[in-house]
Amino acid sequence: MEKQPILELKNIRKTFDKLVALDDVSFSLLPGEIHGLLGGNGAGKTTLMNILYGLYRKDQGEIYLNGEKIEIHGPRDALNRGIGMVHQHFLQISNYTVLENIVLGSGITHRYTMKLEPEARKVEELCQRFGLPVDLDAVISTLPIGTRQKVEILKALYRGVKILILDEPTTNLTPQEVDALFESLRVMVNDGLSIVFITHKLREVLSVCDRITVLREGRNITTLDRKDASEDVFVRAMVGEQMNIEKSVYFARDTKTFGEVDTTAVPILRLNQVNLLSKEGVPRLKDVSFDIFPGEIFGIAGVAGNGQRELAEVAAGIVPPTSGKIEQNGKDVTGLPVAERLRRGLSYIPEDRLHDGFLPKASVAQNLILGVHRQPPYSDGRFINWKTVYQKTREQISEYNIKTGGPEEPGGNLSGGNIQRVMIARAFSMNADLLVAHNPTRGLDIPSMDFVYQKILQRKAQKQATLLISEDLDELMLLSDRIAVIYRGEILGILPREAFDKYAIGRLMSGIRSTEPATP
Amino acid sequence: METLITFLRLVLLSMVPFVLASQGTMLGGRTGIFNVAQEGIMLLGASLGFLVSYQVGNNFVGMLAAMAAGAVFGLLLAYFTTTLKMNQFVIGLSLFFIGVGLSTLLPKLIIGITLSPPLIPTLPEVSIPLLSQIPLLGPILFKQNGLVYFSIVLSLLLWYFLYRTQRGLELRAVGENPMTADSLGINVVRARYWTAILGGALIGLAGAYLPMVYTGTFTEAMTRGRGWLAIALTFFGGWSPLTILTGSLFFAGVEVLAFRAQVIGLALPYQYLLMVPYLATILIMILTFRKARVPAFLGQNYDREKRNL
Amino acid sequence: MKALGRTILPYLIAIAVAFAAVGIFIAAMGFDVGRAYQTILLTSFRTPNGFIQTLLKFIPLTLQALAFTVPLTAGKFNIGGEGQMIVGGIAAAAVGITFSDLPPVLLLPMVILAGVLAGAFWGLIPAWLLYRFGLNEILTTVLLNFVSFAVIDLVATGPWRDTTAGHPTTIPIGQGGWLPMLINNPPLHSGIILAVLVASGIYIYTSRTTGGYELVATGANPRAAEVFGINVGRMFVFSLVLAGGLAGLAGSIEVAGVHRRLIEGMQSNFLVLGLIIGLIARGNNLAVPFVAFFIAVLEVGASAMQRTLMIPVEMVFIVEALVLLFVLLSDVVRRR
Repeated sequence: MEKQPILELKNIRKTFDKLVALDDVSFSLLPGEIHGLLGGNGAGKTTLMNILYGLYRKDQGEIYLNGEKIEIHGPRDALNRGIGMVHQHFLQISNYTVLENIVLGSGITHRYTMKLEPEARKVEELCQRFGLPVDLDAVISTLPIGTRQKVEILKALYRGVKILILDEPTTNLTPQEVDALFESLRVMVNDGLSIVFITHKLREVLSVCDRITVLREGRNITTLDRKDASEDVFVRAMVGEQMNIEKSVYFARDTKTFGEVDTTAVPILRLNQVNLLSKEGVPRLKDVSFDIFPGEIFGIAGVAGNGQRELAEVAAGIVPPTSGKIEQNGKDVTGLPVAERLRRGLSYIPEDRLHDGFLPKASVAQNLILGVHRQPPYSDGRFINWKTVYQKTREQISEYNIKTGGPEEPGGNLSGGNIQRVMIARAFSMNADLLVAHNPTRGLDIPSMDFVYQKILQRKAQKQATLLISEDLDELMLLSDRIAVIYRGEILGILPREAFDKYAIGRLMSGIRSTEPATP
Repeated sequence: METLITFLRLVLLSMVPFVLASQGTMLGGRTGIFNVAQEGIMLLGASLGFLVSYQVGNNFVGMLAAMAAGAVFGLLLAYFTTTLKMNQFVIGLSLFFIGVGLSTLLPKLIIGITLSPPLIPTLPEVSIPLLSQIPLLGPILFKQNGLVYFSIVLSLLLWYFLYRTQRGLELRAVGENPMTADSLGINVVRARYWTAILGGALIGLAGAYLPMVYTGTFTEAMTRGRGWLAIALTFFGGWSPLTILTGSLFFAGVEVLAFRAQVIGLALPYQYLLMVPYLATILIMILTFRKARVPAFLGQNYDREKRNL
Repeated sequence: MKALGRTILPYLIAIAVAFAAVGIFIAAMGFDVGRAYQTILLTSFRTPNGFIQTLLKFIPLTLQALAFTVPLTAGKFNIGGEGQMIVGGIAAAAVGITFSDLPPVLLLPMVILAGVLAGAFWGLIPAWLLYRFGLNEILTTVLLNFVSFAVIDLVATGPWRDTTAGHPTTIPIGQGGWLPMLINNPPLHSGIILAVLVASGIYIYTSRTTGGYELVATGANPRAAEVFGINVGRMFVFSLVLAGGLAGLAGSIEVAGVHRRLIEGMQSNFLVLGLIIGLIARGNNLAVPFVAFFIAVLEVGASAMQRTLMIPVEMVFIVEALVLLFVLLSDVVRRR
């Protein structure tokens, strides 16, 4: 019995200036299905759905809803037609309440007095029905990410959408929360919704989706029923021919080990009882202590917003700890300015690459020397040797596969993935003893992610230390020698590689302390 | 007692340009547009308002002309920043230059270069019947020119609109997070345009007030920095209509005090008193800087198609 | 060479369009457009005096423009060049009058330096307010301009007042404080050498040194610069203090080279023109002197035009503002 698709996108084409983001992509959604849209970063998944949601304009192609051809000029159109989207980065007003965020933009009964009782009742009913409990009067900025995601979903449900698009919804969830989310999706589907699930994680689509479409480099590679294809088929579809899957790190079976670590050597980085209070006196890091040995990859797991950024910045010397000691190679470096830490052998890949690490108005060359601009070979301390800078820049552009016109191109012209490559080139080129990397592979396609993993493993061989903070648990479990779980600024447990278990880590990520003492 | 009443009357009289210019700035700022051209728009409003009033013989028409000019500047600001995505400060400064230039050019062209500029009649007082008989409050609050009443009512309306209506909630969302507002179907572009245009009109009106109430004529640079002061006022009025109103009262109070001190002939050389409003502003900025609640996306342009980096 | 041509082309088009727009206006008002254009553009080159006048304007214009572009590189807007120039002039005059008996080898450097330091101080105040309290520098620099107006009035009508002058002015500074003349008739003082040297120094600083790089990085993204070791707060302060010093230098040059005394109103419209120059040059310190010279030509032409043809000088100001607007627009066009 063939069901008619509720939604069809045909021959969609979209370019941004000269970049072809989508090239003749077609996609269909059957009623009542959970359809996975799978692909690496930059494949075009979010672009395609943003076109459906009216945030982008398509250059060519057609959209059919229930067999009828429609045009979508903006999110208002999409919502009116019953299409809702939960974005990867939540679109919420931080200082409004949950209820205000949910009803914003939709018709309110009492438009001129702002009494929101009728709306509140409607939302509460939805919370019950779909198992998404939230406190309507809480201010968004006070809520944890998992709750904020529920608010995002309620925004769409409140508007009675029939098609719900979720863009990478599991990025900031613990394994247990992921399971709960999938439960909710099933409830929604039983209630008559159809769902598009965008992700780059193969395991997820295999566990929850009915059909899976794979995009790569702006093209629809294949659409298959989950039960009709094996994992390998999807892997090959995601990466194409250019990658050697057997030799890759990304697809390595996670039982592989990459080398032993000498725990008797002087640790390259030691944090001892480090505490950090925010400006308002709120504790952000509590008694954090750990060592990272030469050749070790030390992973930090946790739901975003539990102190990872603070930890990265304290470890890199950007923010001095309120109390506690930091040692590098046995020497006390607590409170040293960043410039000095950089000189002593530190590289940093910040999580928010655009705000914290990149100069859009400066050239690529100027970006690549940021932080090391006082060090040889780029400078003698007073004057900058631009000839050397340009030469090295060209080398790095080639080695790290940065797509750009040249060293003088304004940084703002680069795409997200290439900006990340600049960050990575900068971090790896100085060959520092200690690398603090926070979500280093964000925004990269699979071959590039593999390249970064190879580079990190190289550091192992060179007996350098890496502090790898990531919200991608798979990545951490693949590469780390040990994983520490951070929850509300505290290290709740440190697991050695032999003891890696997704659900055990998930429990720690949710704040459930282990009954056994933390293994160092 | 008499001097107190006169003093307070003067304060209410003087607060008008501050209220109008700051509310105009606030309105644009609420959708993210940071106007820095106020000084130029006010001067142009003063110049054009005076000239039109002089030619036509009617102050009200002059006011409309000033508002129209301000609206055009607001439109240009919105167009260059929202549609062409150019830097808001640079455009604001450019409009400031043009405003200043036009404000001195137009009188020279229309009236010619003269040593005794013509005068227009100043705005008449309008006494509100009954209310103006109240002792103390009566003469202070209810025997003023029309624009004083307008400023107060405007501030109340703006407050109600922004904080008690759905449209106001949506409008504030545009300045707090345009991406979110856009994703919910709120028209960010339209909001920015109309607030900039209306804001510009108010600023132009603020300028026209000066010749029509104070001197009866236009003189070069007669705003004496009030446009810039309005920006400061908007900041420490927390971008909120009612606090801006009270802040304007305060500013006006300082200005009037300094002026009165001159007239009374304080032992201090008058130049020191001239400095007072500006130094006071800096002092107030220092005292309130921590609490300033600014719309999160103030001064930033929004591009829907900007790829999520 | 071709690249240079391509960069200049948008400017030439902007100038042409601006002139055309105002020209239509001038013609509509019944003036002789052709003669107006000629007077505006050629007065500087018709007579030696015209050219010298242009150079004399070029000096403060360049310095004011740099006083704007240096902090602009770091992302800050210094609108206080006026006040910084005024206090610079005040300090220069004060030193020049108080120590008027000193020989040139002592007095001249003191006079110049006093102006630079006073201007730097006037830039330090908003810099510190920014550093300590995060106060927006656009506002604080402008407010200080108005304060400086009161101060110069105080000084020019105080004990040093020249009672014979109709307009608030001080008595002359000592001869030792006069900048030596390069040419006597028409009068060109050596301040021009100073200005050119300073402009070159600023250019070398921003483009070649690590300090200059840090300034650029700070302006490009202060947060990222901070994360990677640059002391952004110090950069802001330094750029504003340096800017104040540049504007203060303009003040002392005007006092020591042109007027030889302090005259109220000496700051003329140099600030606004300096801002326009800085913006037209898009913050590029190498382009600033060239744009400044062009504006100087226009300004000399403008006053000639008002004198001889009765066309108000503001017309030329509108031309300059339009050139700026069109240059900015050409940026947008190029992006598409």
